[in-house]
Amino acid sequence: MSAPQDTKQVILETKDIVKQFPRVLANNDVNITLHEGEILSLLGENGAGKSTLMNVLYGLYTPTSGKILLNGQEVQFNSPKDAIDLGLGMVHQHFMLLDPFTVTENIILGSEPGKRGTIDYKQARREVKEISEKYNLKIDPDAPIETLSVGLQQRVEILKALYRRAKILILDEPTAVLTPQEVDELFEVIRDLRNSGVSVIIITHKLEEVMAISDRVYILRGGEVVGERNTSDTDKTDLANLMVGREVVLTVEKEDKQAGDTPILTIEDLRVLNLKNFPAIDGLSLDVKPGEIVGIAGVDGNGQTELAEALMGLLSVDSGKITHLGDDITHMGTKELIGRSISYVPSDRHRFGLILPMTIGENIMLGYHDRKPYVRGIQLNYKYINSHAEELVEAYDIRTPDVQNPAEKLSGGNQQKVILARELSREPTFLLVSQPTRGLDVGAIEYIHKQILAMRDRNVAILLISLELEEIFALSDRIEVLYEGKIVKEFDPKKTSHKEVGYYMTGGKE
Amino acid sequence: MDIKKLKPVFFIASILMAVIGTTLYMGSYFSGLLFILAAVVLFLAYKWLESGTAALLGLIKAGAQALMVPVFGIAIAIVLGALVMLASNYDPVESYRALFYGAFVQNWHVSVLNAAPLMFTGLSVALAFHAGLFNIGAEGQYYIGAMAATFLGLNLNLPPFLSLILIFVIAGMLASAWNIVPAILKVRTGAHEVITTMMLAHTARYLSPIFIRAHGGDPSTSDHAYVTDQLPEANWLPRFRSFLPEANYRLHVGILIGIAMALLVYYLLYHTRIGFEIRAVGQNKDAARAQGISIGKNIMMALLLAGFLAGLAGVNQVVGLDHKLYENLSAGYGWNGISVALLASSHPIGVIFTALLWGALDAGGQYMARVTDTSNSIVEIIKGIILFLVVAKYIYAYLGNRIRRYRRRKQEAAEGAA
Repeated sequence: MSAPQDTKQVILETKDIVKQFPRVLANNDVNITLHEGEILSLLGENGAGKSTLMNVLYGLYTPTSGKILLNGQEVQFNSPKDAIDLGLGMVHQHFMLLDPFTVTENIILGSEPGKRGTIDYKQARREVKEISEKYNLKIDPDAPIETLSVGLQQRVEILKALYRRAKILILDEPTAVLTPQEVDELFEVIRDLRNSGVSVIIITHKLEEVMAISDRVYILRGGEVVGERNTSDTDKTDLANLMVGREVVLTVEKEDKQAGDTPILTIEDLRVLNLKNFPAIDGLSLDVKPGEIVGIAGVDGNGQTELAEALMGLLSVDSGKITHLGDDITHMGTKELIGRSISYVPSDRHRFGLILPMTIGENIMLGYHDRKPYVRGIQLNYKYINSHAEELVEAYDIRTPDVQNPAEKLSGGNQQKVILARELSREPTFLLVSQPTRGLDVGAIEYIHKQILAMRDRNVAILLISLELEEIFALSDRIEVLYEGKIVKEFDPKKTSHKEVGYYMTGGKE
Repeated sequence: MDIKKLKPVFFIASILMAVIGTTLYMGSYFSGLLFILAAVVLFLAYKWLESGTAALLGLIKAGAQALMVPVFGIAIAIVLGALVMLASNYDPVESYRALFYGAFVQNWHVSVLNAAPLMFTGLSVALAFHAGLFNIGAEGQYYIGAMAATFLGLNLNLPPFLSLILIFVIAGMLASAWNIVPAILKVRTGAHEVITTMMLAHTARYLSPIFIRAHGGDPSTSDHAYVTDQLPEANWLPRFRSFLPEANYRLHVGILIGIAMALLVYYLLYHTRIGFEIRAVGQNKDAARAQGISIGKNIMMALLLAGFLAGLAGVNQVVGLDHKLYENLSAGYGWNGISVALLASSHPIGVIFTALLWGALDAGGQYMARVTDTSNSIVEIIKGIILFLVVAKYIYAYLGNRIRRYRRRKQEAAEGAA
C-alpha cells in the first residue's frame, strides 16, 4: 500500500521518539506527523505505547531521546503547562472535572480571567458562551457538572481545551464511556472542530472508531509504529491484523445451536429498588434456556447493574420471583447462589471481580475458600490452592510467571482471564456475564468471546449484559432491550440491525 | 543416605532452637542469640532442601527488601537525632553509647518488660488494619482487660495455672466485648470505628478510678489512694527467675505469651479461612461480598479479636508486672500500639520486632537520662522520626525517581557533550 499523501501543512511531528522505562521500551523510534485540520488515529492494543506517546506529547513524560517539532520548530515540554501554552489540549479517558462546580467554573479553572485574585465571572461566562457557539458545542454554562450526562461532561472537557486556545486536541479513548447516540454526537463535534481548523488526535483500540471518524491512522505495536494507512484505503481486518501482529478473527464464528426447552433461570415481574429507593428494575421478566446466550442491550444506567446485583443476591429484591433449576432463589444470599452452580463475571473487575493485592491463587479460590479441598478444618490448603491455580493458568492461557504474584501485576486482559478461569471452572449451570470485554484489546476480546461460546456449547444458560452492541450481536442468540428497568423489545439478532436495536435502547416506541 | 529425608529433622531442630533461644534471650541470657542464629540457619537449610537454591535466594531477597525501609528509616533517625543533640549541646556519641548500652545490654530486661504490652496492642491494631479497620481505641480495651484481670485475680482461688488461663481468657473476652458496640454501629449504621472506639477508650480509662476505689483504693489514705489491693501470688504470671536464676526479679514470661500470640495471629491471618475472609474484606469489600463473604460478620470478627488482643495487654501488666491496678498510670500502651503496628506494616511477625524496638528505645532513653545529662525526650524525637520515615513509604519512591531522573539528565548531558 502506498504511503498516504497529504499536501496540507504539517503542524506536529515527532522524530525518533524513544521512551525507555526501567524494564520496558515503551516507545521505539516513533515518527508520526499530524497535518493541520486532520483527524488522526493512533491505534494499538493496551501496552502498545500509545498512551506513552501521548504523555510525551503532552509533557507528562520526557522522552529518552528524539524530538518534537511544532510548526517545524523543535519544542521541549517539561510539563503539561508547556504543552497547553503551545496550543495542545488533552481530554483524558477519566474526566478531570469538579462535580459540584458549574460548567463555566470548570472551564476557566486554572486560567481564570480577572485581576488581582478576583475572578471576572461575567467575562468568563461570556467567553465560554462564545467558544461554545463558535465550535457549535451547545452547553448550559451555569449547569453544575454533576447534573450533566457523561457525553456532556466530555464536551466540557473539550471546551476546556479550546478555552485554552488549543489548536491540537488529543482525545484518549473518547468513546469508552459513551452511549451509541453520544458517540454519534461526539463524531459530529470532532468533524466540526476539524472544519474550523483544529487538528485532532484520537487514541483508541477500537477499530470501528478509527474507520468511522479518522482521516489517517498509525498502528502501534510493541512501542513501534507498524503501519500507517489512509482510512479510505483500508478495512477493519487489515487494521486488526496489523495491531495484533497475527490474523485475528473479529467476530468469532458462532454455530447455530438449538437451545434446551426448560429454562434454567426464570425471572418473573422483578422489581428492584436502587440505593436511592427508586425502582431501577421495574417489572422485568425473562428466561434463559440451557445452551442459549441472552443478550441484554441497553444504554448504561437503565438497570443493568441492579439486575446483575439482584440476581447475585447483592441487592435485595423488592418484589417478583427468580427461579433457578426449579427452586425459588429470589431472596437467597450470594454464598448460597455461588454454591448452586451460578457464576458471575462482574462488569467492574477491579471493584467486584478481584482482590488486587491478593495472589492469583487466592483470587481463584475466592468464594470457594470455605470448602474442601481448599480448606481443611480452618486451615487453608495452599498447596492445593496454588497447584489448582497453576492448572487454570495453563488452561486459560493466563500470562504470569507465578500464581503467587498479586493480581494487580497482571494486564487487564489477564485479570479478566483470572475471573473467567474462576467462574467457568466451577462448571456453572447459569452464567451471568456483565461487560466481559470492557477496556480489553482485540486479542483478549477474541479469546473471551470464544470461552463464552464454549460454555454455550456445554449447555450453560448464559445471560450477557453489555453496553457494546457489537458484542451483543456477536454473541447473543436472543437480544432483549432493557430500557428504564423493563424489557421493551425482544429481537432475533439475525433479523435486526444495530440501528433498530439502538432505537429501542434510547426509548423509541413502535 | 538422601539428605532430603533430613528435612523434618532440620525443621524440628530449627523450631527447638528458636524456642530455647527466644526464652533465653527474653530472660536476659544473651547466649540465646546464638540459639536464635542457629535456628535461622537451620530454617534456611530446611527451606533450601524443600524448594531449592533459587527459592531460597528469593526468600532472602524478599526478606532483605522488606527490612530495607525500616532499617534505612532507623539509620536516618539516628543521624537526625544526633544533629538534634548537637544543636542542643549534648554529646551524641556518649548519649548514643548510653542509649544502646542501656537498651540492649544493661537494662534489656526493662526493654522486654516494656515490649510485652506493646506486642499485644500492636497485634490488636495490626489485625484490625487487615480488615481495613482502625482500632484506635486499643487503650480502652487495655483498661478493660486490666480491670477484669484485677477483679478476677483478686477473687479467683483456683489451682495456679487454671486461674491464670481463666484470667487471660475471660478478661480478654470482656475487653473484646468492649468493642461490640463499635462493631454493631459500624455494621448497622457505618459509624466510623475511629470515633466510636476512641470515645469508648476514654470511657474505659475513666472507669478505672471508680473500679480502683471499689477494690481497695482508699482516697482517705495517702499511701493507698490510687491503687487496688494486691493479687495473691498464686495468680501472678511465672517469672523467668524461676528457671533462669540470673534473670531480673521483675521479668515475667508475658513476653513469651506475646510472641506466641504474634505467631498465632500470623497463622490466623495467612493460613486460615477466617483470616482470609478478614483480609479479603479489608482489601476489597465489594469483591469479597460478590463472592459471598459477609462484610458485617468479618468486621465484627476483626474488631472483637482486636479487642481481645488489646485486653491481653492489660492482663499482662496486671498479672505479670504490677499485680495491682494503679490509677493515672497511663503508659499509653494502647496509643503506642498504633505506632508499633504501623511500623511493622501490620505484619504480625514484624510486630514482635517493632514492639521490642519501641520498648528498647524507652528503656535506653531512661538509662541514658540517668547516666548522661542528655534529656530523655530525645528518644521521643527519634521515635517520631523513625515512624515518619517508615510509614511515609512514598518518600522513597519519590527519592528513587529523583535519583533516576538526575542520573539520566547527567547521562544525557554527557552524551550531548560527546
